[in-house]
Amino acid sequence: MTDFQQAQQTDFQQKALTLAGQQESPAWLAALRFEGSEQWLNADWPSRRTELWKYTPLQALQKNTSATWSRVLPQGVGSASLLTVDALRLVFVNGVYDPEGSNVGIASADHTSVVRFSSANAEQRSLIEKHLGRIVNTQRHLFASLSNAWVQDGVLVHVPRNAVLEKPVYVVYVSTPESEPVIANHRLLVVLEDGAQAELIEHFVSDTQPQNSFVNALTEISIAANASLQHYRINLEQEQQIHIGGVHIDLQRDARYSGFTIAEGSTLKRIDYQINHRGNGAHASLNGVYLPRNNQIVDYHTNVEHWAPHCTTSEVFRGIIGDSARAVFNGRILIHPDAQKTLAELSNRNLLTSDKAEVDTKPELEIYADDVKCAHGATVSQLDQTAMYYLQSRGVSKALARTMLSFGFINELLQELPQVAVRNYLQHHLTELFHTGTALE
Amino acid sequence: MIALQAGGPHVTEQVEGLIRKEYSAGFHTSIESDTLRPGLDEDVIRFISAKKEEPEWMLEWRLKAFRAWQEMEEPTWAHVHYPAIDFQALSYYSAPKSMADKPKSLAEVDPELLEMYAKLGIPLHEQEALAGVAVDAVIDSVSVVTTYRAKLEEAGVIFCPISEAVHRFPELVKKYLGTVVPQKDNFYAALNSAVFSDGSFVYIPKGTRCPMELSTYFRINEMNTGQFERTLIIADEGSYVSYLEGCTAPMRDENQLHAAVVELVALDDAQIKYSTVQNWYPGDREGKGGIYNFVTKRGICHRNARISWTQVETGSAITWKYPSCILKGDNSVGEFYSVALTNNFQQADTGTKMIHIGKNTRSTIVAKGISAGRSQSAYRGLVRINAGAEGARNYTQCDSLLIGDRCGAHTFPYIESRNSTAQIEHEATTSKVSDDQLFLCQQRGLDAEKAVSMIVNGFCREVFKELPMEFAVEAGKLLEVSLEGSVG
Repeated sequence: MTDFQQAQQTDFQQKALTLAGQQESPAWLAALRFEGSEQWLNADWPSRRTELWKYTPLQALQKNTSATWSRVLPQGVGSASLLTVDALRLVFVNGVYDPEGSNVGIASADHTSVVRFSSANAEQRSLIEKHLGRIVNTQRHLFASLSNAWVQDGVLVHVPRNAVLEKPVYVVYVSTPESEPVIANHRLLVVLEDGAQAELIEHFVSDTQPQNSFVNALTEISIAANASLQHYRINLEQEQQIHIGGVHIDLQRDARYSGFTIAEGSTLKRIDYQINHRGNGAHASLNGVYLPRNNQIVDYHTNVEHWAPHCTTSEVFRGIIGDSARAVFNGRILIHPDAQKTLAELSNRNLLTSDKAEVDTKPELEIYADDVKCAHGATVSQLDQTAMYYLQSRGVSKALARTMLSFGFINELLQELPQVAVRNYLQHHLTELFHTGTALE
Repeated sequence: MIALQAGGPHVTEQVEGLIRKEYSAGFHTSIESDTLRPGLDEDVIRFISAKKEEPEWMLEWRLKAFRAWQEMEEPTWAHVHYPAIDFQALSYYSAPKSMADKPKSLAEVDPELLEMYAKLGIPLHEQEALAGVAVDAVIDSVSVVTTYRAKLEEAGVIFCPISEAVHRFPELVKKYLGTVVPQKDNFYAALNSAVFSDGSFVYIPKGTRCPMELSTYFRINEMNTGQFERTLIIADEGSYVSYLEGCTAPMRDENQLHAAVVELVALDDAQIKYSTVQNWYPGDREGKGGIYNFVTKRGICHRNARISWTQVETGSAITWKYPSCILKGDNSVGEFYSVALTNNFQQADTGTKMIHIGKNTRSTIVAKGISAGRSQSAYRGLVRINAGAEGARNYTQCDSLLIGDRCGAHTFPYIESRNSTAQIEHEATTSKVSDDQLFLCQQRGLDAEKAVSMIVNGFCREVFKELPMEFAVEAGKLLEVSLEGSVG
């Protein structure tokens, strides 16, 4: 690496701190912001030699040095398509809260609270102070420190003991181009107390124009004993956008987390999942889909750590990579010394549909306990030629056969989704994507 | 316990092997040695080169490597932990003194050496009984005696110490040395290139099937001496060779560094089968002592060629070893079969790299890791399909077996694909010896230790069946001995 590049990178780190200084956040978040700023500045900027960023260049981020915060609610974002779902909805446009699009301010169910940090009461504030920035693993997720440094507002979803959230919480993050490049820092904190249940949909979406923004989105989830969360994270922003996301989850005794994530569409998407099994008998399942094309890069890093015995993990990721796109997958399962009787499985399957496409996958097992059953598998290939032949011999055109098989490959994961609205939305979206052929050539 | 025994292993010996709990090859033969003062600078390299009466080009080659090494940093990415090595505290040359006037026949060989071989079970004095195997026995740095030279020469096969090849076949050495593992390849390869003491050189001429399995025994014998072997095997077009490498070292307390380099060149249609049984001193029960084994092994396959690595790794305190294949030619094949067993405080980070460059290249990886005691064992592998590797195929399977609740087993496979017609499959599992299996065996009258050893042998069968016969028998026995005391 030349000195010139080194200087540029430090520039972005500096620039990010200047941006942090421009945030107007309440005094009670000052300590967290200070901590974040310090970690961010002291962190080594990732290069190809940094194991966690080996395959994912961050050069694109350097160009964002002129970016600013969006202060006013941008107008005319009608073309972004949303889910049709009866839910507690919060909408942010380029990081700015949109009260018109949202429907929470109205009294929600009795014991639950879905509020923004800025309108939290004293009790909620103490809850935020207790959890915010405490679930993240900043060692493995550099941009979590940045998120801490940048935090100004965010959303708290709090479900008290044994309460069940009747409607899903639907948080929409819309991106739309402005005259200057924009930066958005999204923060979500979910606290489920003992025996609570909730469903959460995070939807990152943009209008159809090319974007010009950098999104840093961090979600922290604390699931207490016997509580359960169904979580969807949908990333469908358009070209010219950089999205760095992190989802950090703590699971206590017999807690359940069931997650689904899909990424498709922007210049660079890097999403980290950090799941910690902290109590006996917790279960986590995480399924994911990535569909990079053109020159896009999608990078999923998942890290599941088993700290307690009798926990189970199941992880399935599938991707179709076309054009000159690149997919990076890293799935690590770490079993700590006392986490006996663990059951963990991970599968990662990739289809390459173009000779310029690339996939770099690395499933990892790190095991320090003996009484465990762990397995992982990874495959890279093209569409099954015998299946293609079969369909073509039945009179199906080559293009349609490809569409059918590709859709089927992804749909196996979609059809398991319990939330009908999400399932329909994604099936529709993928059908369009595959039919135009852009994802397959 | 890796000796090749004349007339096959005897049952009584096997039983004895089981009774002996300590490292059975842990004895030390005292031979007066001609050892260089500790430290490494250009003078040391000049000394080594002069001692071997090397030509100027060889010295230059070493110096180039040394200068590169000085700029390099020790790799830290491996999943192993050890105190920093002081490279200036090591001595880089030692040779048995009685070698000054080279022995022409066995009768001239130092009887103490012969005795040591006898303990190791290399029956140099029973060559007839050792039918089919030529042994190039290496003690520390200088090859002592080479057997079956005549028969090999008849077939046109060159099998000699590399220091001799530098003199006798300078063109071949110049042409191939450092082409597979360049001097600057990595920290330890650079160090080896600078100070390599000796090793084997093999050349199989065009269309020749080597008439016997070639075998070299390495043995680290001198206190505080790092050993830097350099092996170069060239299989010319359409030839075949099977090469066996076995290692055992005497017991001692100080950690010893071993940084070998092995280069294989398989030209068009050639086949090389390289088998290793590594049983260097792993350190005692408390993790004291043992060999540091930082090895670079790599082979290049030209068109239709095949390279097959088979290894059984049970020794060494630390193993850092990735026998690799560069599948350059179309239709070439790379194979890697490995059993890595760690016990007590051993650490192993081992695996392979398969680099697919040519069309229709194929690779198979079968890696079995067994961790017991407080040891840590890791599989680290890379499968890379380059854009031009049309129709490339890889199959990888790594399984880990855990014995005891304080050990660790890890898997770090890197898969990089840039060709849509390539097909890659990777599969890994980790589990322990199941209680059901143990129960079944015990119920049939086997004790726990025997049962575990049987299960482990079954677990490794896929790899053992790739070993040449003599090694396969030894390997099973070796695992048994290495696992002793880890159950119950």
